Amino acid sequence: MLNSLLKKLIKTASGRTRFVMAIIGMSVALLLILSAVQIQIDYDDLLYSKTNQDSIANFLVVNKILNNKTYGTATFKEEDLNKLKQQNFIEDVGILTPSRFKASIQSYSDRFPFYTDISFESVPAAFIDVNSKDWKWKEGDNFIPMIAPNMFLDIYNFQFSLSQNLPQLTQDIVKMIVFKVNINTDKGSVSFNGKIVGFSDRISSLLVPQEFNDWANQHFSNTQNAKPSRVVIRTKDPGNPALVQYLKDNGLTTDADKTRFSKYRQIVNAIVNVSWITGAVMLLFALLVFTLFIQLTIASCKEEIQLLITLGASPKQLQRFLMKQFFPSNIIIIIISLIAITVLQFEAHQLLQEQNIFVSTFTSYYTFATAFVILLVLWFVNYRTIRKYIAVQDK
Amino acid sequence: MQLFLFLICIFDTMQIELKQIVPIPLKDKFSQRNSDVWNQTVLFQHGEWIKIKAPSGTGKTTFIHTLYKLRHDYSGQVFYDDQEIKNISGDALAQIRQQKISVVFQDLRLFPNLTARENIELKRVLQSPFYDAAIIDEMAAKLGVANILNQRAGLCSYGEQQRIAIIRALIQPFEWLFLDEPFSHLDHENISKASALIAEECSKRKAGFILTDLDEDAHFNYSKYLQL
Repeated sequence: MLNSLLKKLIKTASGRTRFVMAIIGMSVALLLILSAVQIQIDYDDLLYSKTNQDSIANFLVVNKILNNKTYGTATFKEEDLNKLKQQNFIEDVGILTPSRFKASIQSYSDRFPFYTDISFESVPAAFIDVNSKDWKWKEGDNFIPMIAPNMFLDIYNFQFSLSQNLPQLTQDIVKMIVFKVNINTDKGSVSFNGKIVGFSDRISSLLVPQEFNDWANQHFSNTQNAKPSRVVIRTKDPGNPALVQYLKDNGLTTDADKTRFSKYRQIVNAIVNVSWITGAVMLLFALLVFTLFIQLTIASCKEEIQLLITLGASPKQLQRFLMKQFFPSNIIIIIISLIAITVLQFEAHQLLQEQNIFVSTFTSYYTFATAFVILLVLWFVNYRTIRKYIAVQDK
Repeated sequence: MQLFLFLICIFDTMQIELKQIVPIPLKDKFSQRNSDVWNQTVLFQHGEWIKIKAPSGTGKTTFIHTLYKLRHDYSGQVFYDDQEIKNISGDALAQIRQQKISVVFQDLRLFPNLTARENIELKRVLQSPFYDAAIIDEMAAKLGVANILNQRAGLCSYGEQQRIAIIRALIQPFEWLFLDEPFSHLDHENISKASALIAEECSKRKAGFILTDLDEDAHFNYSKYLQL
């Protein structure tokens, strides 16, 4: 009852256009800010979620670009490695050690004969994604476990076996085959038994345990302590533009496919930044207009408010009444913006799904949280303005 | 403890004390004549019906406004109980105006765009209501303004507005009622109706009032007469 009487006395109708402008500005501002948050979250989702990420994503094999200029010097010096380790986007650096001796593998079976010259590489165990209890070697062991790239098996199954009229092999079958490993050098020759214990996409060469490679290099190689020519790095985000820039600046190269997100990421970053900065500036101006509107309303009802206070209306009652007049519009704006974002997100989900890009169907919690924080800010600004101008009338 | 304080608030009814009040704009004028109020220490005890008689231009309205804390341009002090009113403001002052002090201004101060009923109703619901809404009709009937209750206050005659202002003051709880020439535009018959209603409402609340007027009168059984 009191409110309906106050509504007759304190007319909020004056300056309607200003109010509508403030409301529209605020809606657009909110839409921009909330979309910025949602786009950022969708993109992070794409980068880091399980459906969009595989094991190769975090490990990059890096080598110096080999061309006429770098010919013969495309190796990593100590300071190159230290510099790599110091970059904050690189979490760990592992040296790929190539074998420096002649080796071959051959089949024991007559039914499935094969023979090939081969070379190995080794890498510290922390960089290997195959869990096998057989992955170990110590001096005196006759058995050498190996990890082969999936690509090797694919080449065999889908090209080689067809051309040679050989049976196709599954990973499990390959893991059962024991073959002979020969090392033949002028320092001597020795034979071992070898077996594939796992397949990996991470490093595209035939891997043996570091211990074996070090031992064999020491015993059978003519060149001692050769500098590494390839390293493997672990990074949180291979799409990080800083990483890509660093590689470029230092004449390094890697599997370009793994860093392809970098370009998209820069675009998304730009969109997100423009969106939220514009949104923030607009929100600021909208708030200013809204504040002015409140001020104007109170000023235009100055006499009524003064008489109300004279008759015993408390500043608190008047503040509560004015909050009820102004604040609900803010809540409505926020709700409408959230609905719009939710609809857009759903549309984006449908649209991107056709291109095999998976973003969430629903608006993120972070977007709702942001909306809530903005609502608190709006409440605070409303409250402060009303309080301030009622206090002026009370003097 | 809180209940105790609450009981004190209810039973410890308010008294008003003036200490050497002199309105600054009228200072020279008052220094030349004797007054029972200006520049005196005066205590208005709870339940007293006080008549303050004063010729035109001696500061009746200034006095009422000073007591009601509408103006601050005076020397001296006014106390509600033992609290100086210059120290009461905002919500605390509103609380006193809703519960303890009601007023009929000389210039009435109705909202011209609200109806007579709405003007009264506003004061009724400003705090938790003391009376039901039906009492408005009862009082309006007693004062002969029932027919204009739904008329905009701005369109009512001054005499009608005066009676609406009186009803508005009586619809709320109070311990003190300030009346600033409340009958200036009423005829004898209406004055006796209005004073009867005021006396009835004050007795009902065991409330006191302070009435200012130009002349002597016998509308009430005053307990104290003062010359301004």
